[in-house]
Amino acid sequence: MSGRVDMGVRIGELELRNPVMTASGTFGSGREYAQFVDLSRLGAVVTKGVSVDSWAGNEGPRIVETPSGMLNSIGLQNPGVEQFCENDLAWLAGQDVPVVVNVVGHSVDEYVAVTERLDAEAAVSALEVNISCPNVDAGGMVFGTSCPAAAEVVRAVRRATRKTLIVKLSPNVTDIAEIARAVEAQGADAISLVNTLLGMAIDTRTRRPVLARGFGGLSGPAIRPVAVRMVWQVARAVDVPVIGMGGITDARDAAEFMLAGATAVAVGTANFMDPTSTVGVVVGLERYCEAHGIERVAHLVGAAWPEKGL
Amino acid sequence: MCDERGAAIEPVAVVSNERVADDVGRVVFDAPRTAASIAPGQFVHLRIARGADFILRRPFSVHRAYDGRLEILYQVVGRGTKVLAEAIPGDVMDVIGPLGAGWSVPGDATRALVVAGGLGAAPMGMLVEELAAREVDVTFALGAPSAGRLVARQLFESLCRRTLVATDDGSAGTCGFVTVLTPEALERERPDVVYVCGPEPMQRIVAAQCAEAGVACQVSLERLMACGVGACLSCVVATSDGLKRACVDGPVFDAATIAWEPSGDAEVAG
Repeated sequence: MSGRVDMGVRIGELELRNPVMTASGTFGSGREYAQFVDLSRLGAVVTKGVSVDSWAGNEGPRIVETPSGMLNSIGLQNPGVEQFCENDLAWLAGQDVPVVVNVVGHSVDEYVAVTERLDAEAAVSALEVNISCPNVDAGGMVFGTSCPAAAEVVRAVRRATRKTLIVKLSPNVTDIAEIARAVEAQGADAISLVNTLLGMAIDTRTRRPVLARGFGGLSGPAIRPVAVRMVWQVARAVDVPVIGMGGITDARDAAEFMLAGATAVAVGTANFMDPTSTVGVVVGLERYCEAHGIERVAHLVGAAWPEKGL
Repeated sequence: MCDERGAAIEPVAVVSNERVADDVGRVVFDAPRTAASIAPGQFVHLRIARGADFILRRPFSVHRAYDGRLEILYQVVGRGTKVLAEAIPGDVMDVIGPLGAGWSVPGDATRALVVAGGLGAAPMGMLVEELAAREVDVTFALGAPSAGRLVARQLFESLCRRTLVATDDGSAGTCGFVTVLTPEALERERPDVVYVCGPEPMQRIVAAQCAEAGVACQVSLERLMACGVGACLSCVVATSDGLKRACVDGPVFDAATIAWEPSGDAEVAG
């Protein structure tokens, strides 16, 4: 570390130089943002979702701005795992940053197939199993909103890899702690949350939904209080580390998530507004720790809990 | 079409901001880096206001770039452009640019037809300046709903050999959509290349007219966009070569590759 604060955190077997990651789907494969950000300054790059075969995604319009947020219905468009490995991963491998690949599928078998393929890639540091995307008809959130289905996917994927396994949860559930416990029991090394909240916008001029698919996933500062609450709930319910995300735009937001119990954080929608926001959060978190006399950033984790405190 | 320096974030100050046609404004930014590196047809991603309420930047084509300045034409259609319309000299925003792939001018082109409907005139300023510098003989077909909404007519008249005008209400030029001008212009001018920007149904029609005439046609497509750099996949365009991203593969595309959305001609606006 260059500064006086130990910024390192640990997620499963993965040692991160700092707790700031990118949120899947908002940072491409990292390549698109490398012109603005020195990727080696980040804790990890989390790629867009990758499926076994290529997915075309949804019809447009795919996004719309909403109050303090945005809705998207991209639908996990991606070139498939082989193309991903050949192009994106090969490039990322040379970037001196841990690579976390987000895994998606229409079925348990597809999740397993992608996981097996990526397990063979040394450049992949960890997998993030996405059972939380609201924008696909089969797979995604379908698996993430029931305990048995979530457990089934994680059990199968766990058998297919020895790499650090992160499971990304949907906030579109009644009891997120229950889902978290279910995936922890099946061998998840960490839990990331939250994916987007299901939302909708209607164009009052055309009297039609703005997004071609009708519903979409809400992200941005508008969802932050919901995400912080869920991180708090989940981090207290499980023993594995939690990666918090949902509307983080600056170091204050990141610190809030860590105080709620997150070991690491991910910056998503803020990248669109400011492509350098991830590095801004890294720098700001270190300053925050310095200003508050905190020697290790990990000491922030759960420090807002009643039984803890700095 | 990016220069070797590529895209960057640049703070920009408003130099002037004025109305140039009914409901169309022109903002001029002091933006030395972007102005020096942007090519015709490329765009900038403008952060209009700070604060959590504006989550997304807004993509704008650049009308003209000269002496360290960028001229952007805008129509007030939503909250972002409303704030932009209220900007005063000295206000500081920032842009990411130059972004995207712009117009391509074939080395052997001697005659070009430029077709713009409404605010589709915005990315044509730099283009006609480039064509004029290359001594390409340009015919410009400019359309708008009414005379008061014709955009940048004087600039185009000063740089093009012929400027044809059509308005939906007949208050200037030919009465009708700009697409009524193009068949005759294609026949008479026999251009080597056609450049089109405007409402998508209008672009689709001109593209079809060009295909029938056997003339190369480039279109500049507009999409809702989040990142502007190719990461989020919000701005995809269906092409014969699969989905392409308007932000990095476009906004300018070879019209022959576009899988156009079917659309009624009634939607066509000049």
